[in-house]
Amino acid sequence: MAEKGLRKKEPDKSFEFRQCVKLMRAVPLKARDLGQLREHIARVSENSIYHHMYEYFLKGHRLEYTNDFAQWAGENLEARALAESLSSIDPYAVGSVQELRAQLLRAIDYYREHFPDPGQVPPGEEFHFNETVTVVFPVGLKARNLAEFLIALRHVDAGAIYYHFYEARRRLKERTDDFSQWVKDVLGKEALAQAIRSIDPFMHTIEGIREHVLELVDAELRKEMEVLPP
Amino acid sequence: MIERYAGVAPKGDLQLLGLLSRHFRGRSFLHVNSTRAGGGVAEILARMVPIMRDLGLKVRWEVIEGDVRFFEITKRIHNAIQGSPQELTPEMWAYHLEVNRRNAQKIDLEADFVFIHDPQPVPLGKFRKGGRWVWRCHVDASAPQEAVCEGLRPYFGLYDAAVFSVPKFARAMGVPEYIVLPSIDPLSEKNRQLSPQELQQVAQRFQIPQDRPVILQVSRFDRFKDPLGVIEAYRMVKKYNDCVLVLAGSPATDDPEGEAVLREVEEHAGQDEDIKILLLPPFSDLEINALQRLATVVLQKSLKEGFGLTVAEAMWKGKPVIGGAVGGIPHQIVHGVNGFLVHTVEGAAFRIRQFLNDPQMLQQMGQRAREHVRANFLITRQVRDYLCLCLALENEGKTIIEIL
Repeated sequence: MAEKGLRKKEPDKSFEFRQCVKLMRAVPLKARDLGQLREHIARVSENSIYHHMYEYFLKGHRLEYTNDFAQWAGENLEARALAESLSSIDPYAVGSVQELRAQLLRAIDYYREHFPDPGQVPPGEEFHFNETVTVVFPVGLKARNLAEFLIALRHVDAGAIYYHFYEARRRLKERTDDFSQWVKDVLGKEALAQAIRSIDPFMHTIEGIREHVLELVDAELRKEMEVLPP
Repeated sequence: MIERYAGVAPKGDLQLLGLLSRHFRGRSFLHVNSTRAGGGVAEILARMVPIMRDLGLKVRWEVIEGDVRFFEITKRIHNAIQGSPQELTPEMWAYHLEVNRRNAQKIDLEADFVFIHDPQPVPLGKFRKGGRWVWRCHVDASAPQEAVCEGLRPYFGLYDAAVFSVPKFARAMGVPEYIVLPSIDPLSEKNRQLSPQELQQVAQRFQIPQDRPVILQVSRFDRFKDPLGVIEAYRMVKKYNDCVLVLAGSPATDDPEGEAVLREVEEHAGQDEDIKILLLPPFSDLEINALQRLATVVLQKSLKEGFGLTVAEAMWKGKPVIGGAVGGIPHQIVHGVNGFLVHTVEGAAFRIRQFLNDPQMLQQMGQRAREHVRANFLITRQVRDYLCLCLALENEGKTIIEIL
């Protein structure tokens, strides 16, 4: 008879919700025209590019443009064509921050070759480069099954959705999200995992992502609960 | 005390505060500034220090002492940081240091994390003992006089980090510079929920009608707040929508032009009974709270602004704000999402009319405004940021820090 204390402990397979907050750090670089913006984008830290391109999604509201550079080009520099091209760069479809930097530079170079110089912004409207320190912490919620996951997902702050759906793409080798990984690896639900994976992060706000994942999980649970007549 | 924020502040912030307080248990924190009461810094410390203590942290708040000459010098330094030309002689800088030397002998500067607030006590860095030292600059340093930067520069390198309120205030100081946005306390007299009776009393006292839309601007009577522009905008709106304008504020006692501006505003308002100019004594927090709740639309049509926390205060009450696109206002108003940023009187009038003609948009934007403040501008977030900064200082060079 195996003794109780010797029983092998099952690994914890529950989904532990975590969240991240960002502490902003100023980079001593600012641009007042397109030339300076290009120069600084070419040499600023990867962390800063990451902040202005990826962490823009943490702001949680849909604006006209999709990153800080495009927003500044459109709103302050009033270079709308450039703002459009910068805005159409999808950071989640790019392999690395270095590649992203190259794409930004190409868009600026193309604009400078084909359009008149938009000049300088008035004092006070310069583009200020920043970066962040990310603090990650457990929110104190664990889901052992899909039903618990559904309840927890409704309850967590937007910062938790950001961490598991957006930030995960920097962390995971597969450049995907934590939700679909858990659904596939632990619950073995490949179709649901695939449906979650196919939600385009670039086209949604955090709350939009929450809604989509909730819908998919809810539908899966309903399907499981249905009893078909013999 | 911290439990009182449950259901008000974001859950994640409260959870993180609990984890951080466990992490920093037993460690000591010291805040030093130059006044115990009056002014924004004392106001924020008076609310932040008790929260930090309630989290189980060892926190002291010390105030430096100085004579009239010292504070005249520091006022000049303060104004020069804000861009106003000031004469600062080598003797003045020497006296600034000397007064701080005397304070350093009296104050126990020993702590694990020391926050020195604003330029008055900045030379204390010369007398630092152990621990990590942070200079917290609350002043708008976006366009300082070069001479004042030169005078302060020898002190910057004595600190482990500096903290500014918005990115454009940050300077190339040669130490890591962090950004911590200001905040409001949702439980303070200025922001707490009010009963219908309290609202009614204020409405009656100031004769604020409740059967017509009320447009409100709360600000001191100062040209940079553009009170005449607000009256112009109201007149443009009045041609189409019956409404009342309330301009509430205190005269700017430290501004010699304050009285003149108030007179101009009164003259400009003329005999219009629907323009109410309310002169409020300092600390009229309950009255400001009620006026913001009674208003339909709130304006902050500043031409120049520090951070402009009255915007966040009004947004917290579910009011969309129409604000000038200056200072810290664009950090609070997301144009077209939770309010509007404007550049002209005509722009302000147009946005007021939009709100008055579209109650659904008014309500939706108001809800988003409150949520935006809840997520970004409550005092719990500011305490969280200070503790995260301490964590970052302990983990120098790391860009991702995990708390287990």
